[in-house]
Amino acid sequence: MRASRTAYPLTWRVMDALEAFAAAVWPARFDRAVPWLMLAPALLLVGLLVLGLIQIADTSLRTLDPSTFLMSEDYTLANYHRALTETLFATVATRSLIGSLIVTVVTLILAFPYAYVMVRTPSALLRKLLLIALFLPFFIGQVVRAYGWLIILGNQGMVNEALGLIGVEPVRLLYNYPAVLFGLVQYMLPFAVLMLAPALTAIPEELEAAAGSLGADWVRSFAYVVLPLARPGLIGAGLVVLTLSLTDFAMPAILGGGSQDFIANAIYDQFFRTSDQGLGATLALLLVAVGSLLVGLVFTLFGAGTLAMGRARR
Amino acid sequence: MNERMFFAALNRRRFLQGTAALGAAGAFSTLGLSRALAQEPEKPGELIVRAWGGSWVESLKAGVSDSFTAKTGIAIRHDLTEDNEIQPKVWAAVAQGRVPPIHINWDTTTNATKSALRGVTEDLSDLPNLKNTTELAKPVGLDGYPIVNTYGYVYVLAYRPEAFPDGPPTSWKVLLEPRLKGRIALYNDGIGFHFPAQVAGGGKLKDIPGNMQPAWDFIAKVKEQQPLLGEDPDFTTWFQKGEIDAACTISTNAREAKKNGIDVAWTVPEEGAKFDTDGLWIPKGLPENELYWAKQYINHALTPEAQQVWLDGLGLPGVVPGLKPPADLVGDPSYPTTEEDFKKLIRISSKVQVENESDWFARFKAIMQG
Repeated sequence: MRASRTAYPLTWRVMDALEAFAAAVWPARFDRAVPWLMLAPALLLVGLLVLGLIQIADTSLRTLDPSTFLMSEDYTLANYHRALTETLFATVATRSLIGSLIVTVVTLILAFPYAYVMVRTPSALLRKLLLIALFLPFFIGQVVRAYGWLIILGNQGMVNEALGLIGVEPVRLLYNYPAVLFGLVQYMLPFAVLMLAPALTAIPEELEAAAGSLGADWVRSFAYVVLPLARPGLIGAGLVVLTLSLTDFAMPAILGGGSQDFIANAIYDQFFRTSDQGLGATLALLLVAVGSLLVGLVFTLFGAGTLAMGRARR
Repeated sequence: MNERMFFAALNRRRFLQGTAALGAAGAFSTLGLSRALAQEPEKPGELIVRAWGGSWVESLKAGVSDSFTAKTGIAIRHDLTEDNEIQPKVWAAVAQGRVPPIHINWDTTTNATKSALRGVTEDLSDLPNLKNTTELAKPVGLDGYPIVNTYGYVYVLAYRPEAFPDGPPTSWKVLLEPRLKGRIALYNDGIGFHFPAQVAGGGKLKDIPGNMQPAWDFIAKVKEQQPLLGEDPDFTTWFQKGEIDAACTISTNAREAKKNGIDVAWTVPEEGAKFDTDGLWIPKGLPENELYWAKQYINHALTPEAQQVWLDGLGLPGVVPGLKPPADLVGDPSYPTTEEDFKKLIRISSKVQVENESDWFARFKAIMQG
C-alpha cells in the first residue's frame, strides 16, 4: 500500500481532482465552444462599445430645450442638419482632416528612416540609443509634452532666446496651425516607428544584398524591394497615426491658442460648454463615421492583407 | 438661535420624526427630550466643494473652508474639476438617483442657472444669513434661491503699461490697433466680450439679444488681430510669459499676474465692461445630514468675516454690506461699490445669457475658427 502511494504522488492526485472538476464544469461535449469562449472578452468589449454607440445615437436624435436644459422626448434630425450645414463644423472638420493627412505623411516620412536604422544598424549602442529615444516620450504624457513645447517655443522660450542672441526679434512660433501639426507629428512619431519596426525586421537583409548583387543601386533597392515589403507596416502605422491625429484633443487645445480646434475640441465644447449633448453626440458619431470610412477606404485600396492579415490561410 | 430655527425649517421629515420621537421620549424622561432637541444632524467626515484652482481656491480655503472646519470640525475637500466638466456628472447623478460627486458647487451664475432650470439644485431660501445680503445675492429671473450669488466681478481690459506709454487705453477699440496684432487675448468662448463689443461696434445694449450684429462685426475685426483664446489661468500665464499686451479678462487674473511681479494694469473702457456674478449651490440627492451641513457651509460663506477674507484674496466685491476693499483696489473700477461705479458696467440677466449662450457661442466660434 505504502509503495503504491509513492508511485502515485500527491501532485498527480491533485491534478486528477482538478481534471475531474474541469470535466464537471466544462464537459467534453462543450469543446467546440472553446474558441467562442476565448473570443468572449473581445465580444464583450465590442458589445459594450456598440451599446455606447447606440446610446450616443439615441442622444444625437434629441435636441436641447434651453428653458429646462433637458433633452427632447421626440426624435429629430435637427442636430445632423446643424452639423452638416453650419460653417463652424465644416471648417473644423476640414482642418482636422487635412491636418491628420499632413501629420500622417510627415510622420511616416520621418519614422521610416528612424525605424530602418534602428532595425538594420550593426551597432548595439546606436540601437539602444534609438530605442531609448523612442520610448522616453512614452513615459511623458501628451499634455506634458505639449506644455514642454510651450516652454521651448514661447515668446520667451529657448528658441526665441537663441534667436535673440543673433539679434532676431521674438517670433510667434506657437498658437497657430503649424504649431499644432508640429506637436502632433512629435507625438505620433514613436507610434509610427513602433508599427514600422516589426515590418522592417521581417524583411530579410539578404533580399537587399541580392538586389545589390544584381546591380540595383541603393535607391532602386529601396524602391523595389524594401518599400513594397514594408507596405504592411506603412499601412498599419498610417492608419494608427491618421485616426489618432483625426481624433486628437490636447494638441489643438494647447498649441492652437484656441483658434485651431479639431473635431474633438468641437465635441468637447458641445458637451461641456453649451451643455448640448445632442449636438455633441451627433458630432461624435460623425467623427466615428469619417474615421471608419477612411479606414475602409484604405482597406479597399490596399486590401486587409496589407496588414499581413490572412497569411495563415494561404 | 438662528441655526436651530434653520435646522427645523430645513428638514421637515426629520422634524416629523423628531416630533414622534419626542412624544415617545416624553413618556420616559424629560432629560432625554431636551437632549434630543439639542442634537444636530450627524456630521459627515468631509464636504466636497468644487472650486477653481490657483488663487481662486486658495482664497476660498483661507476665507471660508478653513474657518468652517475650525467652527464645525468638518474637513473640506476642494475638487478642482472644471465647472463645465462637473456639470454633466452632477446632472447624470441626479437623473440616475445617485449621490452627486460634490456637496457644493462654486459656479458661474450663468452655468448654475442652467442647473437650476434643469431642476437639480436644492432651494437655499432658508439660509439665515441671506437676510444680511445685498440684492446681488439673489439670482435674477429664478424663483427662490436655487443659487446664492456670493460676489460680483468685472471683465476688464487688462494691459501691460509698457505697451501703452501714452496712458491707459480708453476704448475696447484699442484691440484693433495693428501694433497689437497677435498680442491680444479673449476667453475662448467669448464670454465677457460680447456686450462691450456690441457697444464698441456701434450697437445698443437694449438690442441684446435681438440684434447683436454690431457685436459680431466688431468681433470679426478683432479676429483679424489674431487674438489668443484661453481660460482663466492662460491669461495670467500669457502676461507672465510676455505673449500678450492686452486682454479681456476677469480682474482677478490680471491682479494675480501683478502679484507675481508682472507689470499689468486694468481699466474699464468708455464702452463699459461686463459685470457678472459667481455663486454657490447644492446638487439634489445628498443624504439629509450632508445636505444640512452643505447648507451650513454656504451660510457660513455669507458671513462678513468669511466674505472679507475670501474676497480680499480674489479682489472682488461681495454680497454682504460693509466689506472693506483690499488696499490696492480702493477706487478701482473693477471693484464697484457705489451706484456711480455700477453705471460704467454692463449687466445682462443670467436668464437672457443662458437662453442665448449656445447661439452666441456658435457665432463667436464661427468667427474665431474661420
